[in-house]
Amino acid sequence: MAGRVDSDKLKEKASDNLNDLPTFNAENMQNNAKVMYYSRTFMSIIGGVVAGILGLTGLMGFVFYFLIMGITSAGLAAKAGFSIHSYFDSWNKILLDGFFGGLMSFVLFWTFAYDIVHIF
Amino acid sequence: MGVGFVVGVLGVLILSHAAYSTIQYRAMLKITEEEFSGPPINVVVELIAGLMLCMWAALTVPGKFLSILSHSDENRVVALPENLDFMIFNHRGKAIPMGIDAKLK
Repeated sequence: MAGRVDSDKLKEKASDNLNDLPTFNAENMQNNAKVMYYSRTFMSIIGGVVAGILGLTGLMGFVFYFLIMGITSAGLAAKAGFSIHSYFDSWNKILLDGFFGGLMSFVLFWTFAYDIVHIF
Repeated sequence: MGVGFVVGVLGVLILSHAAYSTIQYRAMLKITEEEFSGPPINVVVELIAGLMLCMWAALTVPGKFLSILSHSDENRVVALPENLDFMIFNHRGKAIPMGIDAKLK
């Protein structure tokens, strides 16, 4: 016997069903992640150079790094027009992705700039 | 892409000029034997200006954000990928109710 479906169900779309898996365009997701990675890496390097020139040492330097990353996150959110859901699948991606990856580049260029300006 | 790149290069040039000014300032401090407590105000202003320019370049040069929703206007044409094992289609079958709760009668 074939299953009989209520006529009400014919009116609702399957996308109303909470079990529906959202499909995303994977290529564009990768593109967005790549753009964010480039932006964050470049800002980490520039932040490192500025921290070195300012002569920051110790904890103040890391505080400066978190400040730069916060500003970069705000800038990326503004670039996406604050309608995050059409470009990324969650808020965590835009705020936290690449946060600690840039830390290594930051420290490298921080010590580099500090040495050039203050020691040699 | 061209304008952002030029702005980025300009920001980096401003930062290197600020670095050079700080080196000269330190050399002067060595002569007068004072402690380095911070770069002079004009260097700080230069650094902020360079930072703003580089931030603008960092946000515009890498490229635009593309929409990931499958039902947005710019994602209408989907090319078939070479990998035939995994394909995602977005077609009108979505409008047919899944009827998971349908009972066999």
